[in-house]
Amino acid sequence: MPDIEAIKSEAKRLLQEGVVEVVVAFKPGDTPLHPQPAFFTSVDEVDNLVYNGLCQNNLATFLTRIPKDKKVGMLVRGCENRSVNALIVEKQKSRDDLFLVGIPCEGIIDWRKIVERVGEAVLAVSENDYEVIIETRDGQYSFYKNELFHESCLRCSHRNPISADVIIGEPVPETNQDLANTVVERFDSQAIEERYASFQKEAERCIRCYACREACPMCYCTECFVDHIEPRWTESGATPAGMQGWHIVRAFHQTGRCTDCGACERACPMDIKMTYLTEKLNYDMRKKYNFETGLDIETQPPFATVTLDDKNRFTV
Amino acid sequence: MQDNGHSPYTPISMHILRTYYESTDRSLKTLELSFDHAADSQEFFQAFNPGQFCLLSVAGKGESALGVASAAWEGDFVRFTAQKMGSVTSALHDLKAGDPIGMRGPLGNGFPLEDWKGKDLVIIGGGCAFSTLYALTKHVHHPDNRDDYGKLTLVYGTRTSGLCMYKHDIAAWHENEDMEIHQAIDVPEENWLHHVGYVPDVVRQVAPSPVNAVAVVCGPPIMTKFTLPALEDLGFSPETIFTSLEKRMKCGIGKCGRCNLGPKYICKDGPVFSLAELNALPADL
Amino acid sequence: MRKETIMNLILEKQALPALFQSWREHYDVYLPQKMERFSHFMPLSDESVLVTDEPHNTRIPPKALFLPMTEALVEFTRFGSYEDAKQTIQPRIVFAIRPCDAQAVQLLDTSFIQEGYVDPFWVEKRAKTITIGLGCHEPCQTGFCTTVGYGPFNKSDLDVLLTDLGDLYLVETISEAGEKCFQGFPTASDEIYEQALMVQHDTHDQMPVAFETENLKEKLEQNFNSDYWEEISQSCLGCGVCTFLCPTCFCFDIVDEAQRKERVRNWDTCMFRTYSLEASGHNPRPSRVERTRQRLSHKYVYWLDQINQIGCTGCGRCVRYCPVGLDIRAMLRQAQTLPFEVSHAG
Repeated sequence: MPDIEAIKSEAKRLLQEGVVEVVVAFKPGDTPLHPQPAFFTSVDEVDNLVYNGLCQNNLATFLTRIPKDKKVGMLVRGCENRSVNALIVEKQKSRDDLFLVGIPCEGIIDWRKIVERVGEAVLAVSENDYEVIIETRDGQYSFYKNELFHESCLRCSHRNPISADVIIGEPVPETNQDLANTVVERFDSQAIEERYASFQKEAERCIRCYACREACPMCYCTECFVDHIEPRWTESGATPAGMQGWHIVRAFHQTGRCTDCGACERACPMDIKMTYLTEKLNYDMRKKYNFETGLDIETQPPFATVTLDDKNRFTV
Repeated sequence: MQDNGHSPYTPISMHILRTYYESTDRSLKTLELSFDHAADSQEFFQAFNPGQFCLLSVAGKGESALGVASAAWEGDFVRFTAQKMGSVTSALHDLKAGDPIGMRGPLGNGFPLEDWKGKDLVIIGGGCAFSTLYALTKHVHHPDNRDDYGKLTLVYGTRTSGLCMYKHDIAAWHENEDMEIHQAIDVPEENWLHHVGYVPDVVRQVAPSPVNAVAVVCGPPIMTKFTLPALEDLGFSPETIFTSLEKRMKCGIGKCGRCNLGPKYICKDGPVFSLAELNALPADL
Repeated sequence: MRKETIMNLILEKQALPALFQSWREHYDVYLPQKMERFSHFMPLSDESVLVTDEPHNTRIPPKALFLPMTEALVEFTRFGSYEDAKQTIQPRIVFAIRPCDAQAVQLLDTSFIQEGYVDPFWVEKRAKTITIGLGCHEPCQTGFCTTVGYGPFNKSDLDVLLTDLGDLYLVETISEAGEKCFQGFPTASDEIYEQALMVQHDTHDQMPVAFETENLKEKLEQNFNSDYWEEISQSCLGCGVCTFLCPTCFCFDIVDEAQRKERVRNWDTCMFRTYSLEASGHNPRPSRVERTRQRLSHKYVYWLDQINQIGCTGCGRCVRYCPVGLDIRAMLRQAQTLPFEVSHAG
């Protein structure tokens, strides 16, 4: 369990000493299952800071929404730390204008798994080291945390922030990528018709709300490809061609930039699985280019760089 | 529009009768459209009022909202002047005489000509927004309608003389004793005989009288922003100052939601609004 | 209340499958069915898994049955002319539509059916639809229908209203079309009727007041330039979840799909940057601040200006599914703390 008092104390210090102008963290939601991202600019506001397993957003997505020269403090878990690094590599922020408060993370609780089990009439949620306790209109329930973690978190191999300025909390045991690789390989081993059928089934629910895009820290283009008119890249509506085009192209735009945080899936109102696409691309990055997103703030992603000794001569 | 049996989203088919550039830099092009079906023409002119607009449709590209730049008496055609800005207007610029084109209209409320009868008209336009004011002037100035209105004062400013639209008529209006036209360009040019300066300043200079008069202003937002106070300073009340607004449009009939200004839709409740009406709406332009 | 309805009947839940089959002879029957982990209005088929007893509405509102996410409006012909897109709608019965969603469809009627411009696609779908509402005998956690002037057993726009009484429903038929759907069903006894009335009143009364609506419009209007809008929209991602899942949101985009030779309309949202982006590059609503102001003002100010009704039926979806947990009820409670301003917006 993260030490809330220590987190608050550090956030207050950062503001008090003028190290940062804003601390990006979470505050209690107006409903029990949804804490909200929060932007603390004064010491008093920090009393309202909250941090728990239901904090489901990748806070790095807000980095490109804050003026570039503002000094920002941010709470980061493993995936968020790497997303921040990826943004620094893409020159969306300077490391000097950031103070990262690292929180080792066991996983983000998927609120939909709670609702699946106990319904939507949730009155309150609390956590201890192992369990999540849920008060509903019908009574109290408790589940082990690892029953409720989001799927991406179950496969995570970077739970500890790798380049935070300060770490609050005990390091979490790291796992390796075997599980992540297995999941990709298992899907990949299916016949192409089966894989396409799965893809179609997921994509056809899409309503083009672009919650996935907005929740993703790496989707910060002022004009997304779906908004281009000349040339037009995909159909705009909820047609099979349009929806499939949207999902595939967005996944490819994430190649070498995605940190497998799963924020896209958590944001989707239609419960669409989409991480299987980016997981495959990240797998290819690992296997073919020995590259993982956001491990440092210098290495360029393979598909964003062109050097004369590239393996494939795409360009003339 | 409903009488032809079509849904209000379906354009009627028209053809390009004539098309020619208005501005020397070729950014502004006039298209004159003829009706494919006489019934459509009848229906159009029955409903038409200067100040209204139409949505011109290029199949496969989309639609563009353009003010009608012709008066009914001019003939069995409808004139528009389009500035080349985006994908649809670029496609409009590529059309030639004889090409098919779609049209939905007339849309919007148009100028409240009934209320303006008996009054002096001060018509102030800037840039390519002059097109509906041109239609208004052509309508008012026609012998059938002239006696319904009082003194006619025009102020028309463009960045350069090359960008002036409808040059032939404008030149004739300078010679016409029945109207007072003040033309302006932003910066001095050789051989320019008229005003040099921004429209709001020219308006102050010309100082039209507000007595029994209405003023209508159509121009780029920045021009309108400074012209409206100039008119108020000259004594025009908000009820006697009118403007035509623009916003991104799609359906043109008050259903898709996007051109709203508070509870009003610019396509349906406008595009012509008085300053008094605008003051009651949120500053959401 | 008794005067409004034509008949009060009883429908036993075990009779539902047979009843659906009898309807299927002449109608498509739409009802909430399982889709992944949520419920969705789909046509009844032999593979359907019904979900009619969850204590809240479906994920996507049934407005999608009248205003589809994507719909062709115009077809381009080879000769440069245009035709109305053809629409084939079978008569249908929508079963277990919630009062919040039905009320919303009635609100949308005022936009799509207006003197002078009538949307033929909407009108035809409406004419061919019979709505059988299911009242909410358990108030949902995030709904606030009573706060905005409606309620869990509101009869607006319903042909029939069902009240769940355990093993059976009270069936209040409201229109002739609704009555025809339940021909031959037994009349409800006074006892059953009174029991249902009590359920209806109790549920209505149990719902907490989410925010005060008195003077809310004035507070929102008069604080057009307040920092309030920046405060409430800080963490907004600018996606379209709230507006797409909203039963009263109707904004649509119109685009040409040249390869299909069609002009189509798609759901659109005032929360997207491109919504009011003009060709010149000017955007009247350049940031999330202005766009959030537009969304809240449309529902709680402009709808009132237009038809004197709040443009929100309190269905609660935006609260449940906002990816960052923003809650419109909290935003409006905060709006009520704003001062009245003497000078007007604009």
